[in-house]
Amino acid sequence: MRRLFLSATVLFWLAVSGAWLGARLQPPLAPPAAPAEARYTLDEIARHDRAEDCWMAIDGVVYELTAYLPEHPSSLRVIAEWCGREASEAYHTKTRGRPHSPYADSLLPAWRIGVVS
Amino acid sequence: MSAAPAALRRGGSLVAAPAVLLALLAACLGWAWPAELGGWRALSIVCAWAGTALLAGSLLLMVRAARLAALFGGLDAQYRWHHRSGTVAYVLLLAHPLTLAADAWAESPVRAWQVLAPWAQHWTVWLGWLALLLLMAGLAATFSLHLPYRRWRALHYLAGAGVVTGLIHVWALLGEAGPLWLLLPLAALALGWRLLGSDLGLAARPYRVRSVVPHAAGLIEAVLEPCGPRMAVTPGQFVFAAFGDGAHFHGCGEFHPFTVSGIGADGALAVGIKALGPCSRHVQALEPGVTVRLEGPFGGFLAERAAGPQLWLAGGVGITPFMAALRAGPLTQPTTLLYFHRSAQDAAYLDELRQLAAADPLLTLVSEAADGPPPMLAARLAEVPGLAGRSAQLCGPAPLIQAARDALLRHGMPAAAIHFELFDFR
Repeated sequence: MRRLFLSATVLFWLAVSGAWLGARLQPPLAPPAAPAEARYTLDEIARHDRAEDCWMAIDGVVYELTAYLPEHPSSLRVIAEWCGREASEAYHTKTRGRPHSPYADSLLPAWRIGVVS
Repeated sequence: MSAAPAALRRGGSLVAAPAVLLALLAACLGWAWPAELGGWRALSIVCAWAGTALLAGSLLLMVRAARLAALFGGLDAQYRWHHRSGTVAYVLLLAHPLTLAADAWAESPVRAWQVLAPWAQHWTVWLGWLALLLLMAGLAATFSLHLPYRRWRALHYLAGAGVVTGLIHVWALLGEAGPLWLLLPLAALALGWRLLGSDLGLAARPYRVRSVVPHAAGLIEAVLEPCGPRMAVTPGQFVFAAFGDGAHFHGCGEFHPFTVSGIGADGALAVGIKALGPCSRHVQALEPGVTVRLEGPFGGFLAERAAGPQLWLAGGVGITPFMAALRAGPLTQPTTLLYFHRSAQDAAYLDELRQLAAADPLLTLVSEAADGPPPMLAARLAEVPGLAGRSAQLCGPAPLIQAARDALLRHGMPAAAIHFELFDFR
């Protein structure tokens, strides 16, 4: 058990160091060209109110989150409740007064499909 | 800690600890199984929940209570599973953030680093990191056996704090309790029992020192009388004792294991106390009237002796369980007792043993002074008549037990006939 503890701990820190080094060595990515923004009304968004077809409006931006839902740390029930809705307050408070992390903010743009008209 | 042969005698209860761990694993993975995910992210979730389940189980296996220890096949077997489940859980939990980062690596190394960097995350993830670091520090101390016992125990508590922090991390991230309805009360009960019931002694029974007799250099025998309900102890068992204060003696208050060397009809227990560490050295100055708190009894050494002839082999303070058995009454099986001690000054109970051997025709006593495993061990064993057909009970320092076990196997004794018990509960 002692050997398992020592080898796992050393490998863990080597992997963390590798991730840090990989990020340092990667050249900065060019910002993606801004696509032509589609515009959706809240009524249109409300039609995508299921876990199998989930849109949300957050701070005036519309996100298509269907493929992301299984990756969300909380259980599906917690986040799927906000499908088809204006979810800015829920995103900024997690309904418990806690905002999402900077990492979560960085994930959102990948799911953007337009803005609220 | 006893090895497999001694533990196997305790039968089916040996599967109780792995069964509890598997049940916790099944409950957590059944609830959280990532059916809609694949790849690294699914593996990460499986690692997180498997690690959490094993960690909670490891806490349960840390509880020191006589009935629980009996259920798990003895305190030694229980602690072995505590160590195994805790270490495997730690490895799984280390894999949790790494597999999340591996999932993000496919997108970019920068994204992978963002998964790991605490400053890119929020406090819920910081809790996860804090839990991992506490576990890391706690386990590093656990495996540092050269540390003095008190420092070792204090640092080992860091691992317990890591478990609680990790469970709060899960709850905060999950947004609901889920399997934590099971794991959190289990962890709280286990930690509470260990800290309050065992380490502070709230579940211990009050005894008082009736007499203290020095038996050898650095070895005393204390007779403890019950101040309330008495323990039902059989020869070969041990208790955890914490000595309190008397007129001129101030105990260190820590619980340490001591083998019972005598059981009185009035419920009094004699324990042999060898000066092995700071606390047991201090206890050598013990005096009558000192209060004692006892937990136990634990262990099953000598509990199931085969009907045939016996070989008992004792090294140093390892003579104490055999003293309890010999003092309990005449033997019913032919028994040869090989007793090894460092010198004449270290030969505890030798005069009493000679008297017992003279009075009991079934007991043959062979005593020899030796520092470390005796060079003549194999020869002494070869002199025992019908050795291969005997059942062996070994108690003493680990090197002596190992040397004796190897020699007995070479003499043709089946492994299942060799029983031994060592005391190392770190």
